[in-house]
Amino acid sequence: MSDFLQVLVLGLLLGGVYALMASGLTLLFGVMRIVNLAHAAFIIGAAYIAFFAFDKAGIDPLLSIAITMPVMFAIGVGVYLALFPRIEGSPRFGEMTVLMTFGLALIIEGLLTFFFTGIFRSTRPGYATQSVFIGDLFIPKGQLLALVVSVVLLLVLWAYLTFSRIGTAVRATMQNRSAAQIVGVNVRRISALSFGLGMALAGASGSMLSYLFPFFPSRHWQWVALLLSLIVLGGLGSLKGAVIGAVILSVAAAFVTDQFGPTWSPITFYLALFLIIMVRPQGLFGKAVRI
Amino acid sequence: MLEVVEATAGYGHGPDILNDISLTVELGRRYCIIGPNGAGKSTLLRLICGIIAPRSGDVRFEGRSVGGLRPDQLLEVGISYVPQERTVFPSMSVKENLVMGGFTIKDKGLVNERLATVYRLFPVLGERHGQLAGTLSGGEQQMVTLGRALMVQPKVMMIDEPSLGLAPLMADQIFDTIRELSDLGITVILVEQNAYRGLQASDWGVVLDLGTKRFEGPAESILDDPRIRELYLGSQIAGKEGSA
Repeated sequence: MSDFLQVLVLGLLLGGVYALMASGLTLLFGVMRIVNLAHAAFIIGAAYIAFFAFDKAGIDPLLSIAITMPVMFAIGVGVYLALFPRIEGSPRFGEMTVLMTFGLALIIEGLLTFFFTGIFRSTRPGYATQSVFIGDLFIPKGQLLALVVSVVLLLVLWAYLTFSRIGTAVRATMQNRSAAQIVGVNVRRISALSFGLGMALAGASGSMLSYLFPFFPSRHWQWVALLLSLIVLGGLGSLKGAVIGAVILSVAAAFVTDQFGPTWSPITFYLALFLIIMVRPQGLFGKAVRI
Repeated sequence: MLEVVEATAGYGHGPDILNDISLTVELGRRYCIIGPNGAGKSTLLRLICGIIAPRSGDVRFEGRSVGGLRPDQLLEVGISYVPQERTVFPSMSVKENLVMGGFTIKDKGLVNERLATVYRLFPVLGERHGQLAGTLSGGEQQMVTLGRALMVQPKVMMIDEPSLGLAPLMADQIFDTIRELSDLGITVILVEQNAYRGLQASDWGVVLDLGTKRFEGPAESILDDPRIRELYLGSQIAGKEGSA
């Protein structure tokens, strides 16, 4: 029983960070119907910012969120304005975004490898190797802090989308883009903002990834596949779905690791992805949409 | 006065849908635009409300050029649009949908005032204010989109195919409401597939074909004109007393 609880807790701890990573991805799809295959490449890019902030200036990776979020926000707005308005309205918009972001991921990976080489990196703040015990439960401190930060950021995002005027416009654009335009929402501005927000979430995720998981430039492929499986389970474009999908799969992967060993953990996500696409392609909270 | 001046327009890189069309809309009247499928009726509304920009020519409103402005900018000058597709925000409540209609209004008190006006016009929306709009019937969703467009108290309201897919009784109710809009001082431009019904709800009819204006005149005279009946109202007159 305590074993079961232990595995469950370890799964839940990582679920928070997964949810944060996936929330940005699902936000981009929800607002703009962009399938951002470069999302994890941006996360890894942000992890490098956190890495050098830690290595050169001794800035704690959790504090580096104050740098990675605004920097990634600005990059996101720039990338959106440079690439996407010109293909807006194209009947092949969905497919084009997949190809464009695939290319973008390759470019980012190439640049990162060129400048920072392909060696493993990770930041080593004190808490990354510490742990606490609650009764018999073993809790890695770094993962606990990451969970707390992720939950706080997700709550802030939720409150912003629910209660602010601009956040309401973002939700309206997600639900019906042409109707949002008709009631006077400047959908292009909302799209640029949402792309920035999604990237800011990727930035915060990257700061945390820098000490949770060792990384190198081409690592992003594995991550983006994992993130896609999370948001497909939850339903593309649904924030609630992304969070619930992340928690379910993170816990499932923890159990698979416990039973069959860590080598099998990634399989959990891909197997789940295949099952969902066969059984319920719109995901738990998604609507059937065309892209 | 709203004027479309020798405008040509189409979508993306596609062909021209509207060819050199001119139309003058006197404020305070109810207009119905009729014509066969593909005549450019909906495109004309989308041009006026700013979803597409004129390729040549212009749209003028109250003496100023508004062709090429964005929909949100046109809302601010008083032109609002109710599209043909049901465009509620499905996961927002009825009330949230209506409040979204007042998105461009910064004054919250004014939004609440307008909300009360919409509830007076559509009592059923008041009763269902907390219900998610996506779970409403087609007719109720149409009321939400009409109510939402009314939140800005537009000077001109363009309504595309309001009765599409509605039960006859519900369609009657929608047309009654459209007549009431005139009493609120709103100029209505209606596009209606059911030409007979649309003209009955209007005072002025405009016949469109192949992207340009063929004819315009008082609605009754169009209904009585044998040539136009034959060409554009066709079989619908046979179903005059029915719901067509």
